[in-house]
Amino acid sequence: MSNLIDIVDWALVIIGEVLVSIGVFCSIVAAIGMLRFPNFFVRLHAATIGSIGGGFVPIIGAALIALGSDFLDYKWLFFGSLVITAFIVMLVSPAGSHALARATHRAKVAPVEPKVTDHLEEDKNKESEKT
Amino acid sequence: MTFIMIVLPIYLVSFVLYFIRVFKGPTISDTVLAIDCVSFETIVFMAMLAIFFKSLLLIPVVILLSVWTYALDVFVAKYLEKKEMGE
Repeated sequence: MSNLIDIVDWALVIIGEVLVSIGVFCSIVAAIGMLRFPNFFVRLHAATIGSIGGGFVPIIGAALIALGSDFLDYKWLFFGSLVITAFIVMLVSPAGSHALARATHRAKVAPVEPKVTDHLEEDKNKESEKT
Repeated sequence: MTFIMIVLPIYLVSFVLYFIRVFKGPTISDTVLAIDCVSFETIVFMAMLAIFFKSLLLIPVVILLSVWTYALDVFVAKYLEKKEMGE
């Protein structure tokens, strides 16, 4: 019985380490993209990689590592609070970046450079014609 | 534990790359976007440190930091849209 628990702990630690490795790779890629991309609306793409791939996935991995390692005293508290943090990050980061992007577009702070059609601008022009 | 020792310096490298964008960013939106990413990575960094030091002190800080990031986004978005801070 204790042998089985050892195997489950080992598997949890391995899965957690794989998730944290994915997160490290995504965060390095997002940081390089944040430096190299030309303007704000292109940099949003790198920010999405940095917040979901580099934030949500490694927090889940850290929770699994904490659950599988037996040297911690309160490992269920570690696991629960890290899972809650991961879900808060998953809900909050797209909402925040969408609000920021919409406000930037309306305030005309950054240029909308690789543009095919711009429905937000068309809607805004229609509203200003009505009033 | 050795895995965490390997992972933490790579996170420090990405912190440095993000901070170049924070200080260089031409508009205020770029700065806020980079600070968002920095704070999400800080959350992961603090969770790793909490496991590494076997201490519970950093765990409540992590939950609050993830909510403060959203507050920063919404305040800056409101300022850019209406040119006033929320009162």
